[in-house]
Amino acid sequence: MLYQDTVEPEVLVHKPWFLTSIFAIVLTVCLMFNLEGTSFGDIMRPVIGDPVQSGIYGRVAIAFVIAVMFCVNIVLIGFIPMKAQIGIVWVELLLLSLAFFKLFDLSMPFIWKNVPYLITQGVVTTIYVSAVSLVCASLIAIVAAIAKLSSNGFAYAIASFYTSFFRGLPLLMQIYLIYLGLPQLGIVLSAVPSGILALSLCYGAYMAEVFRAGIQSIDRGQWEASRSIGFGFGLTMRRIILPQAFPVVIPPTGNMFISILKDSSLVSVLGVWELTFLARTIGQPTFRYMEMLVTAAMIYWIMSACLEVAQSRLERHFARSTMR
Amino acid sequence: MNRITKIIASASIAIVSVTIGTSVYAGEVLQRVLDAKTLKVAVGTDWGPISALNANHELEGYDIDVAKGIAKYLGVKAEFVTPGWDLIVAGNWQGRWDIGMGQMTPTTERAEKLDFSENYYYGHVVAVVPTDSKAKELSDLNGAIVGVTTSTLEEQYLNQTLTPNWIGAKPIEFKFKAGQVKAYPSANIAFDDLRLGDGIRLNAVVTDQESAATAIKSEYPVRVLGTLFSAPGAISMMKVDNEFREKISAAIKSMKDDGTLSKISMKWYGADNSVEK
Repeated sequence: MLYQDTVEPEVLVHKPWFLTSIFAIVLTVCLMFNLEGTSFGDIMRPVIGDPVQSGIYGRVAIAFVIAVMFCVNIVLIGFIPMKAQIGIVWVELLLLSLAFFKLFDLSMPFIWKNVPYLITQGVVTTIYVSAVSLVCASLIAIVAAIAKLSSNGFAYAIASFYTSFFRGLPLLMQIYLIYLGLPQLGIVLSAVPSGILALSLCYGAYMAEVFRAGIQSIDRGQWEASRSIGFGFGLTMRRIILPQAFPVVIPPTGNMFISILKDSSLVSVLGVWELTFLARTIGQPTFRYMEMLVTAAMIYWIMSACLEVAQSRLERHFARSTMR
Repeated sequence: MNRITKIIASASIAIVSVTIGTSVYAGEVLQRVLDAKTLKVAVGTDWGPISALNANHELEGYDIDVAKGIAKYLGVKAEFVTPGWDLIVAGNWQGRWDIGMGQMTPTTERAEKLDFSENYYYGHVVAVVPTDSKAKELSDLNGAIVGVTTSTLEEQYLNQTLTPNWIGAKPIEFKFKAGQVKAYPSANIAFDDLRLGDGIRLNAVVTDQESAATAIKSEYPVRVLGTLFSAPGAISMMKVDNEFREKISAAIKSMKDDGTLSKISMKWYGADNSVEK
């Protein structure tokens, strides 16, 4: 059951049918790939001899060992309490990712030499572009959401045209249209303002739908009750509706914020010196492209993780009222 | 005046000022450069010896030094912006930058949208193959998958639509017909695909000889197969200011006459590419 109640369920990973089916799936998956050439084949050398020449026996042995290790792993994890389970699985996945990146044979001194510049120039520009777009997009979104819910035909038409148009074009195309197309009307914006404008308009459209869903999720009785005690529109929205709608819109809005952070990388096509642009231009000419890509990816992930932590704290704060 | 007349008058003043604002031609760019005491130069950051970021994350290269020399001749400072090759070639710069570098060849199609200065670079285009490729001459590349930078003369050469319509151009001979042409935003990405091996993603890359030399110097497993054609490079500007174009051409000519251009070329290329051979 997907909510906290007092019935303690049996641990899924300790049920025999579940365990055997997981074992069978992992075994078949490992048999499909030729894992003899990898470092796992080297580890198995005492058992199967030279991995490359061990043929079908080697493949089955390697797949069997991997499947057994995986099943023992999940059985042991099933014994510990939930918070510890989360921690252990995260650590295991992080170690697997690190092992994956180790395969690329990256040059760590090159990475450490360039990380300070990536942060001082790239991260600062990225955060600046994302933060300004975020604020503008939220403001546009709340106005558009209310317009789409109103009974005023003029407002509804403009808001629905706006959301349809700016959700209908790819963001990259919107950036090019604003940078190259607006000058035809005489409005010449430089690269960073064009990027911020495009991001705000595009994400304003998406967030308008999110806010509209949040407002609509409030029971009709709340509107009727506030009218019956004499509240006008502004007072109802500020005091009754938006405070109740806010916890509902936090997860999707957090989604949008993290998405804006990543989509700010599209401004690099206009030549803005943000994180993706720097990773490309430092990495390509020195032919150390992989190092820079992995570093930039990790930096983006860390920034998104900070936003995720902020979002979960905000959710926990508003979930106090639903605790039992 | 009554209201209607006032509205019509202000509207017509607005329209007239807009049209006047867009029809100032002589000296506009030059005046802007001299007033701001800054020459805005569009370059790339991953163009190898032409312009790239050095270890201190500053731009340096042949184009950078030439632009600084031109700025000194005009008595202003040079400021560099990095839009992207396709944005420079597209024209309609809207005053975002004043000159575009990148050794653009002054073809007649480009001359419809852009003004060109005197040539400041003379180079040739080569075909590069992986070291394990079986090709021995250029005709072996018939039907091959060839990588090239987008919006360049090399791309037109591969599509066999190139006509040598710049000053001093020699007739072009199409030495092979590519089976498939893959366009990349820059030559570095094409070389990354080429180094995987012959036929994995590409059989060959067509680019200028200096990019090829840089890749070979960075120990990419590639070799030059042969020369395809020669083309000059010039500085591009918007087609709005004749005085500005003449000033830039005069700047390049003075750099040629006092030997600065040759010195810059020797520094970055190890050979004098600033004169026609």
